[in-house]
Amino acid sequence: MRFNSLAFRLFATAAVWTLLVLPIAGFIIYRLYRDDVQTSFDGQLLKLVNAITVDSMGSSDAQPLPPSNLYEPLFEVTHSGWYWQITPLSPANGRKLVSPSLATWSLPSPAAKSVKPDETGARWMNVKGPKGEPLRMVEVIDSLGHEPGKPTYSIVVAGPQDWLDHLVSNFRYRLTTALALAGLGLVAVTLFQVRFGLLPLLQIERGLANIRNGTATILEGDLPAEIEPLQSELNALIRSNQAIVDRARTQVGNLAHALKTPLAVITNEVRGDKTGLGDKIVEQAEIMKQSVTRYLDRARMAARVGVIGRVTPVAPVVDPLVRTLERIHQEKGVDIRVDCPADARFSGEKQDLEEMLGNLLDNACKWARHEVDLTVVLPPSTSRARNRRLSITVADDGPGLTDDQRAKIGKRGMRLDETKPGSGLGLSIVMELAHSYGGTCDLGRGPQGGLAVHLNLPAG
Amino acid sequence: MRVLVVEDDKDLNRQLVSALGDAGYAVDTAFDGEEGYFLGDTEPYDIVILDIGLPKMDGISILEQWRRADRKMPVIILTARDRWSDKVAGMDAGADDYVAKPFHMEELLARVRAQVRRASGHAKSEIECGPLRLDTKTARVTCNGQQIKLTSHEYRLLAYLMHHNGRIVSRTELVEHLYEQDFDRDSNTIEVFIGRLRKKIPVDVIETVRGLGYRLSETPSPG
Repeated sequence: MRFNSLAFRLFATAAVWTLLVLPIAGFIIYRLYRDDVQTSFDGQLLKLVNAITVDSMGSSDAQPLPPSNLYEPLFEVTHSGWYWQITPLSPANGRKLVSPSLATWSLPSPAAKSVKPDETGARWMNVKGPKGEPLRMVEVIDSLGHEPGKPTYSIVVAGPQDWLDHLVSNFRYRLTTALALAGLGLVAVTLFQVRFGLLPLLQIERGLANIRNGTATILEGDLPAEIEPLQSELNALIRSNQAIVDRARTQVGNLAHALKTPLAVITNEVRGDKTGLGDKIVEQAEIMKQSVTRYLDRARMAARVGVIGRVTPVAPVVDPLVRTLERIHQEKGVDIRVDCPADARFSGEKQDLEEMLGNLLDNACKWARHEVDLTVVLPPSTSRARNRRLSITVADDGPGLTDDQRAKIGKRGMRLDETKPGSGLGLSIVMELAHSYGGTCDLGRGPQGGLAVHLNLPAG
Repeated sequence: MRVLVVEDDKDLNRQLVSALGDAGYAVDTAFDGEEGYFLGDTEPYDIVILDIGLPKMDGISILEQWRRADRKMPVIILTARDRWSDKVAGMDAGADDYVAKPFHMEELLARVRAQVRRASGHAKSEIECGPLRLDTKTARVTCNGQQIKLTSHEYRLLAYLMHHNGRIVSRTELVEHLYEQDFDRDSNTIEVFIGRLRKKIPVDVIETVRGLGYRLSETPSPG
């Protein structure tokens, strides 16, 4: 997960909140529980001290009686942590009574230590027991027979605070474990939630990649309501982009039509003029014609730049071209042999592939004696799709070219043989188109001695 | 040979008519799609030169309708739209050739000649019939190597017969293929021209088939 990502933001906020809230909640629960346990323990101690007070002080004797009821069996076990003690406030008032568990030990009096009584008159204190164990202690001051003026006694009951501490720490351990597990679970759920919630973004990414590599024309699929407007906006953008390109093409075509007919008229009008003016006009008209063609091609290529990529299957382009060319060159009887894998695809515009192949095949047909070979080679599908190249060779069995001629021929408008019809623009258009796709166009010698043109183009 | 030129640009239309006329064709013209379609559908042309961008009806639709109606005359498409997709569309619609504007008139004339020859089943640019030889490139006729001087009407008549040698050509067919649409058609003029041709050609190659028409014979009797 990258630092600067939606997933991280969503996950981090959720995780921070969880990590902040869970310990606070844990602390509050722990405190509530501890206070609760303490209150109930104190309640038990208060109950015991009140029972012992009633039992011992209720008699009308001069001396307090040892409590008749045991209340708590651990009062009998030495150093059990459970103790009671009845002490006269002035030594002259009689004997001191203690629980058997206290043995020789005696408990201090909170009253003597100036501990303030609570609203029930009980005084609370924490002390160390005979074994050093922490004790919780409560003291009630009362007089014999509950009558004022009679000798007063301090009645103390103590219980083991560590039992309580043990209970609380046990609870704390279990609470921490449970909350930690809950936290982990929450973090895991958040992770899943973020991944699941952001899944449509991944879908958009794939959809856009499909548009770029040409397997889709619009962003497809059922996207969630929040992203759906984005999807329709993107599709509208793609469509308007396409419309702009199509419009530009139409305008370019219209311009071509508008200019070429007058040029044909001018050229034909001065046909046969012998004054020299005619030759000049024909020459200039030829220059105009080449400029028109050149800048129309440029405009077309510029219109293509930045347009979302398309993929053109090669075979459906080749078949009609071969059909058309065999018909155009029917007189000559040229046989065009095609070797093209069915799955060969060109990463670019159909029209551009048509122009390249059409011009190359037309040239080859003009020069061929009997045969033209079109060979399309697709690289093995193991190589990365983005870097795949399509290799196309058009070779004829005609006279071919010398090295010098090959060097010259790429120049626009350069024609080696003025007797063959054509504007001489064919091959240079092919080269410009190939370069505009980051491809190459090389001339070589074919297996049958004729010209072989190798195109190297991005495969789709 | 009768040609139909369908081209909406008046200047280009005029130039085509003039160049084709000079080359010995009888030329009809149309300036819009509907007129062009109607003429091609009703008149027997030997070849049609058809623009694509036409008012009222575009060239591709015209061509498709002709072919659907089984009109088989050769059609050369003449258009400024010279992308290969346009050429493929034109040829698939039933065109026989494709000439992109601006063009050289000589190239167009060569294509027209080639299509006419091909349509009548001749592979070479020179058509031979016994001692007669017609060079379609130069529009010259020789008999046993001797050039025969012909007027333009005589040439049209002989060239048509030579393109269709070996079969009987009726007077009506000759009238239909030798004269423009608005020409005063009188089949008697055909007989006049046949008579003149017979005088100019040293051997008797033109055979009259009574009631049916004329035929060029491969083995002429000395005339």
